[in-house]
Amino acid sequence: MKRLMILLLAAVLVPGITLAHHSASRFDLSVRDNEVSGIVKVFEVANPHTKIVLEITNEKGTRDVEFEGHSRNNYYRSGWRIGMVEPGDRVTLVAAPTRDGSDGGYALGVITEDGTRF
Amino acid sequence: MSHPARRLATSHAAALSMALGAMLVSSDLAANERPDFTGVWGVYREPGQAGGGFGFGAPETLPLRPEAQAKIDEYNALVAPAQDTPGGFCLGTGMPGSMLGSGGYPMEIVQHEDIIVVIYEAHGEIRHIHIGNRAPEEDLFPDRNGYSVGRWEGDKLIVETTHLKEAVDQRRYPHSDQARIVEEYELITNDDASKVLVANMTMTDPVFYTEPITAEKKWSFLPGVRLLPYECNEPTWEEYLDSLREQAAE
Repeated sequence: MKRLMILLLAAVLVPGITLAHHSASRFDLSVRDNEVSGIVKVFEVANPHTKIVLEITNEKGTRDVEFEGHSRNNYYRSGWRIGMVEPGDRVTLVAAPTRDGSDGGYALGVITEDGTRF
Repeated sequence: MSHPARRLATSHAAALSMALGAMLVSSDLAANERPDFTGVWGVYREPGQAGGGFGFGAPETLPLRPEAQAKIDEYNALVAPAQDTPGGFCLGTGMPGSMLGSGGYPMEIVQHEDIIVVIYEAHGEIRHIHIGNRAPEEDLFPDRNGYSVGRWEGDKLIVETTHLKEAVDQRRYPHSDQARIVEEYELITNDDASKVLVANMTMTDPVFYTEPITAEKKWSFLPGVRLLPYECNEPTWEEYLDSLREQAAE
């Protein structure tokens, strides 16, 4: 319990820790065809990983779900360019799901409203 | 007047020097005849294979000493809950991971006669390979990518890297600060004129391993490709600034 409190305190006091990215091993990368659609709330293309938040509506209700994505450099090389995805857009992510079945995933690819893929 | 014995020794030394010089000339190429590694290189993929991220010939089980295994186990237990990695904290891999893996990102080589600079796109890791101008020992200190000196043996570039930091956080080849890595680089031109850069690595580390580690890594030449910046801490810095602004506004 004490250790958990220290970790939570550190997360509050040191903003950088809250942003630390983790390894992709918490995602089931063997699943390459899982598609998730939603309204873009956040689409921050960055290194080492992109942060995507979608408003998703399904049988669980409507909620914001955060995804991790490839690095900016990898998305650039697969066709992403600035302005291609903006908040409010509807996109579909080809996302490896989490191993524990919780919300979220790893965005292997993005399909925009006009069908552009990167 | 000089002593006869000293004259004899000087004469022998001169002969030896000439002989060594002749050997060097015969085993080395003139600077303008050496292969030019300059350019951007990407992970080579053998036909029908997914790629050589960590090099081919890598052993399945590492010949680790028990003390080293204990250190690695302790590290793995620490990072396992959140599955943290150095890269997740914008920290480069360090040798030999920077060379063998580098996340599959390309690298750029800038070759001069006295120095070769290797830039790995992932985390912007940079290695300087000093040719014939090693820094004095007292000027060196441990680093994740160590200190590298190179020499040409014919058309092969031999690179020796020392002064590494202990790295239990290397996913494939953890090592101690006593590790010594030798890479042999060779340029191959295929029948279709495409260029492949091949590196054979041997890492000796008597503190961590009972025997040397070897691996092979290949890259394909990527004409027209530019290396991209890999600034990684910018979102962290911007979020920190936002938090300062929020505090200032309160």
